Amino acid sequence: MTSSPPRLLLVDDESSITDGLAPFLARSGFDVRVAADGQQAWERIAEWHPDILVSDVMMPVLDGRELVRRLRATGDTTPTILLTRVGESGERSAALDEGADDYLNKPFDPQELVARARAVLRRVAAGAAPLMSSQTLVAEGLRLDRPARRVWRDSDEVSLTPKAFQLLEYLMTRPGEVHARERLLSALWGFDFATHTRAVDHRVAELRAALGDDAAAPRYLETVAGVGYRFCATVSRA
Amino acid sequence: MALALAGAALMAGAAAVAGALAGDRRSLVIEAAVPGIAAAAAVVLAVAAGMTLVVDRRRRRAESELRAEVSEEAAVEHRRFLARLDHELKNPVTAIRVAVAASDVESPQLATIDAQTARLSRLVGDLRKLSELQTSELERSRVSVGALVTDVVDAIRDAFGRDVSVTLPAAPWPLPDVTGDPDLLFVALFNVVANAAKYSEPGDVVEIRGDEQRGLVVLDVADTGRGIPADEVDTVFDELARGSNARDRAGSGLGLALVRTIVHRHGGDVAITSRQGHGTRVRVELPAAAV
Repeated sequence: MTSSPPRLLLVDDESSITDGLAPFLARSGFDVRVAADGQQAWERIAEWHPDILVSDVMMPVLDGRELVRRLRATGDTTPTILLTRVGESGERSAALDEGADDYLNKPFDPQELVARARAVLRRVAAGAAPLMSSQTLVAEGLRLDRPARRVWRDSDEVSLTPKAFQLLEYLMTRPGEVHARERLLSALWGFDFATHTRAVDHRVAELRAALGDDAAAPRYLETVAGVGYRFCATVSRA
Repeated sequence: MALALAGAALMAGAAAVAGALAGDRRSLVIEAAVPGIAAAAAVVLAVAAGMTLVVDRRRRRAESELRAEVSEEAAVEHRRFLARLDHELKNPVTAIRVAVAASDVESPQLATIDAQTARLSRLVGDLRKLSELQTSELERSRVSVGALVTDVVDAIRDAFGRDVSVTLPAAPWPLPDVTGDPDLLFVALFNVVANAAKYSEPGDVVEIRGDEQRGLVVLDVADTGRGIPADEVDTVFDELARGSNARDRAGSGLGLALVRTIVHRHGGDVAITSRQGHGTRVRVELPAAAV
């Protein structure tokens, strides 16, 4: 462990949330400061240079999405977790358009936020952060064009359903991390309840068939017994 | 004469509105829209009555348009209500979860608060999903009904340790495919069969029967479980509705609402027949895909 804890800027206009979340995050090993809206956050970032930003979306003055857009427009790559769902804005490639590094839907499990923040920081430390903002990702003969929503294996285009593409994109932008089925179901399908995680297994099977990946000796998609899935190949931006 | 006709038409219009309302259980949502619509209906119908003798035909058309308008407005307002509910619940629920996580003390009471808030979180998430599903774009793939049923039966065995007996036709040909989102169709059928498993005992029968009728794939999910009280059968598809004899089983009251939304979005229909103490049959009808 390094001597100084990572600096986390928490942005939310609901003090009922920040009042509890700030001390919780501090106890979980972060140096925490709070901003009540995007404008305040903008100023704090300039003077304090946090290692990570955790921001609500709907806020007065300057909302979370606009804050991230402005930061990215100035070349600021401070890793960011938005407290909403992937693609909730309705855009198909919302994650890419906005430049957020991860998403967590309210109401969330505070422990899950800590796990995500750590994962994002690990990604940055490993130099993998640029994947999140890359238009094209490549991994061992596999090529994923995010804006066009198209995939090629070697030189052949692979036909995928939109959901399978979304899953592959999610896993490829977070290589090496183990993703629980429940987590994938919640993040990509929006289901927290009233169903079974089988949908995830199906899309993984679809991906494996389309990519010619062998579950027993995976090149891309590894099953982590009793938990979920991991993208096991090394991913880089094209 | 014209005046009398207009008066009669006005009353008929009001009756039509009342009928449409009685048919819809979400009266709270609709009430706000009534005065304006009733007035509009009165005008439309009164004019029709005064003009000509083909009153009946026109009135019937106006009534059906009115009914469509009322139900469309109710649906839009209902979606808005779900969105508002989601918006108003998510911050307080997050605040409670965070406050519990930030507390130093460990107590059974706090553990209860934590568990119940987690449950509330999932409920908020699924209410949101439900409202999104009513308008979101659907994947349109060919889905094999046989594979779908097999999948659901496996998942039920996995989740409830119960076996389901399945009868799907093999002759003169197997069931046609349906077109739609395979994940959502799975969620719908899984929920129906999960209810059958949940509200019956291990010795009870749970069956899935498939049939093809007039371009529709018909799936009956039947059980010899506890059934639904007669006066509650009509409301079981409503959000958060739970049978008065279902309280001993965990559930969100969203399962059948989800089923109804998914089936309707696929151009199908779902109906329930039940006798308390004897069992329940849920019939799901989906348009067959073109061969």
